[in-house]
Amino acid sequence: MDRNMKILVVDDFSTMRRIIKNLLKELGFTNIEEADDGATALPMLKQGNFDFLVTDWNMPGMTGIDLLKAVRADPALAHLPVLMVTAEAKREQIIMAAQAGVNGYVVKPFNGPTLKEKIDKIFERVQG
Amino acid sequence: MEELEKRSRLAQARALVAALEANNEAEYQASLNALAASQTQPMFEEVGRMTREVHEALMIFATDDRLNLLAEDEMPDARDRLRYVITLTEQAANRTLALVEEAFPVADRLIDRAERLHIELVQIRQGHADNTRLVDVITELTAYLDSVQKNGGILKTGLTEIMMAQEFQDLSGQLLLRVIALLETLEGKMLGLLQKIHPISAEKPAAQTLAALSQGMGPAVPGAKNDSSAAESIKNQDDVDDLLASLGF
Repeated sequence: MDRNMKILVVDDFSTMRRIIKNLLKELGFTNIEEADDGATALPMLKQGNFDFLVTDWNMPGMTGIDLLKAVRADPALAHLPVLMVTAEAKREQIIMAAQAGVNGYVVKPFNGPTLKEKIDKIFERVQG
Repeated sequence: MEELEKRSRLAQARALVAALEANNEAEYQASLNALAASQTQPMFEEVGRMTREVHEALMIFATDDRLNLLAEDEMPDARDRLRYVITLTEQAANRTLALVEEAFPVADRLIDRAERLHIELVQIRQGHADNTRLVDVITELTAYLDSVQKNGGILKTGLTEIMMAQEFQDLSGQLLLRVIALLETLEGKMLGLLQKIHPISAEKPAAQTLAALSQGMGPAVPGAKNDSSAAESIKNQDDVDDLLASLGF
C-alpha cells in the first residue's frame, strides 16, 4: 500500500474529520485533504487525483451515499476506493451502500484498529 | 327503547305501509323520509355538538398565552440552546484533540530517543566489559530506557483512546440536529395553526417572570432570544464583578 496516496476525508463534523485524519496519520498516511459534504467533495475529487475516499453518510447538502453514487457514475472516478465511516447502521442502508459500490463500511463509534483493518482489506482487494 | 319512541316509530311504519297499500307515492316518500330522518337526526346533532366542541377547544387553545409563548419564544430558544450545546461540545473536543496532537509527537520522540540511546549503550557496554562500575551504570540506564519505551507506548495508547472518545461530539451532535429539526417542524406547524385560527397579537406576554428566573435558566446561550428580553445575561466573570460592585459589594 502506498503511504503517500492522496486521501479525501468527508464529514460535516470537523471533530470527526480531525479524528480520522489523526488515525490515518498514525497509520502512516500524510497526504490528506478534507471536505465537509458531498457537494464540496465532488469537485475536489474531479480535479484532485485522489487515491482514496473516506466519507460520512449523513451530511447536509450532498450526502455520502449520493457522493458515492456520483463517484461511481463518473468514468474518471468509478474505480476510486471508497470507505464509509458513518453512524448510519440500518441493515437496508448498508445494503444500499454495498449496491452503490462501497468498498468498506465502518460504523461509528469505531476505533483505530477497525479503521486500519478495513483500509488494509480494501487495498488488498484493489491490488490483488 | 322508550315506550313513547316506540309508539312514534310504529305510527311512522304503519303510515308507510298504508301509503304503499294505497299506491300513494307522495305519502309513501314522505313517510320514508320521516323514518330515515329519525335515524340520521341524532347523528347530525352529535356531529354538530362535536364541531362546536372542537371549535371551542381551538379558541381556548389559540387564546392561551402559554401557547403563543411556546411557539414564538420557547421553541426557538430551545433550538438555540441545543445549537449552543453542539458548539460547546465542539470547542471542548477540538481543545482536547489539539492537546492530543501536541502530545503525540512528544511521546514519539521520547520512544525514538530511548530506543537509539539503548542501542548505543549496549554497544559501549560490550567494549568496556572489564569496567564493572561502567557496566552497572549502563545496565541501569538501559533498563530505564526500556521502561521509557514501554511507558511511551502506554502513553500513546492512552492518547489514542482520548482522541477516539471525542467521537461523542459527532454522535451527540447528530442526535441534537435531529431534535432541532423536529422542533423546527413543530414550531412551524404551531405557528401556522395559531395564524389560521387566531392571528398572533402584537402584544406578547412577558417571556420570563421572576418565578421562572428563580427556578434557574441554565447556562447563558449567546444570541438566544430569552437572554436579550426580560432577563439580560451576563457574559463573563468581569461583568459579574462589575454588577456586584455597582450594587455595593
